Amino acid sequence: MKNLLLFLARFQGLLVFGVLEVISLYLFVTSSSYQRAAFFNSANAYAGVVLARRTEVLDYFHLGALNQQLLAENARLRQQLYPPDTSRRQADSLAVPPAPGDTLRRPRYVRPAQRPDTLLLAQQRLAARDPNYPLVPARVINNTLRSVDNYFTLNVGLADGVRPGLGVLAAAGVVGRIKTATDHYATATSLLHSKTSVSAKIKRDNTFGSVHWPGDDPTQALLDDIPRQNKLVVGDTVVTSGYNAIFPEGVFIGTVASFVKEPDKNFWTVHLRLGADFSNLTYVYVVTNRTRPARDTVEARALPPAGKEGRR
Amino acid sequence: MKTVGLLLGQALRYVVYTLVHVFIISRLVLFDAGWCFFYLGFVLFLPLGTPVVVQLLLAFGMGLTMDIFYDTGGLHAAAAVLLAFVRPAVLRLLRPRDGYDAADAVNVHFMGPAWFLTFLGVLVLVHHLAFFLLELGSFRHFGFTLAKVGASWAFTCVALLIVQLLFFPVRRLRQ
Repeated sequence: MKNLLLFLARFQGLLVFGVLEVISLYLFVTSSSYQRAAFFNSANAYAGVVLARRTEVLDYFHLGALNQQLLAENARLRQQLYPPDTSRRQADSLAVPPAPGDTLRRPRYVRPAQRPDTLLLAQQRLAARDPNYPLVPARVINNTLRSVDNYFTLNVGLADGVRPGLGVLAAAGVVGRIKTATDHYATATSLLHSKTSVSAKIKRDNTFGSVHWPGDDPTQALLDDIPRQNKLVVGDTVVTSGYNAIFPEGVFIGTVASFVKEPDKNFWTVHLRLGADFSNLTYVYVVTNRTRPARDTVEARALPPAGKEGRR
Repeated sequence: MKTVGLLLGQALRYVVYTLVHVFIISRLVLFDAGWCFFYLGFVLFLPLGTPVVVQLLLAFGMGLTMDIFYDTGGLHAAAAVLLAFVRPAVLRLLRPRDGYDAADAVNVHFMGPAWFLTFLGVLVLVHHLAFFLLELGSFRHFGFTLAKVGASWAFTCVALLIVQLLFFPVRRLRQ
């Protein structure tokens, strides 16, 4: 017993070192999982208050840039209020082929409501304000950019209807996903995180793939799972696919910057230029989803209990 | 009374390093690859006679505070604990011929620039290597990680040297 105590006294530094390292590494390794509602993150009340105060101070110095950003966004929103060119151009009646028994072959006319003009339908804009995905406006009060796993903190929380797992948009595109939330603050995993993956599609031909960040350049990301036989064009728009219930369909992610065919892969290696500028992320929107529980239930019933592939 | 004063002084140092780091320093980035790990000053400039266990616990607390602000789980804590573990060994290596004086402290004016810069450079390098390799979790982008280590190392060392030159006493206090 005495020897044991002597041993402990002699190596106390090493022992304490080992214990503390194990605790730290455990916290570090488990901090990436969505399920863990941890105390040790910037959404906790004390850190939230400090970060909010810091943002108040910094806000003052950013007023000019902020105004520009709001102005640009207002302009875009105002534009959405205008009806599209095609919306009021429907003909009162449409000609359809003659009835089969009509020997005079007279054209018939029908009202468009009964049989919509398919040409006009194709030009119609998609609903800009999808009522199934209400938005919660939020302010970014903390943001990292150049780590391998980046996070940002928002000034909204459970009280505003923010729940872990919801998507986060900025005016310029997808930016991340909520990881944990407390009453008034929430921490989100940025799109610039090694484990974030967003289901996406190329707008031109609806080929779907997934976007992830390789960990170096905060303005670029990779688009995976585009088969080699598909034609790609530099500048193609990449939007969310709507295949999961996190983002509505058609939210801008980025444009194709370059693509290469690698000899040993079945898929293109596509580099995207991200739409959102993560270096000055300020106002964002948390996407809540009304139909999500119903959708998740039906998908869980239909699919075998799959691993990560199903959760994208 | 002296112990209470010492504890209060250290608590004040902890608060000052944390607040300065969170409010000001954490926003600064050098060449898109270098951060200033200003809060390391708290651990590095502890008194020479601090017991190892106390050093480790203080480094863990400081690291965990930073983890809360950076959302990194225990990454800062792990690297800071490693730093606190290596610190006594480096101090032993750099010991002057006749040992440390009772009035000695980690201070560029007392110990001389050569002693201080070696101490600072070695420990900050160990910390940054551990930090960035842990953060990466693999050896991808190894060159870029080394660039990050280099830039951060320079930034942190210069910042802490400036702190020493500006805020540390030039003369030894009368015992």
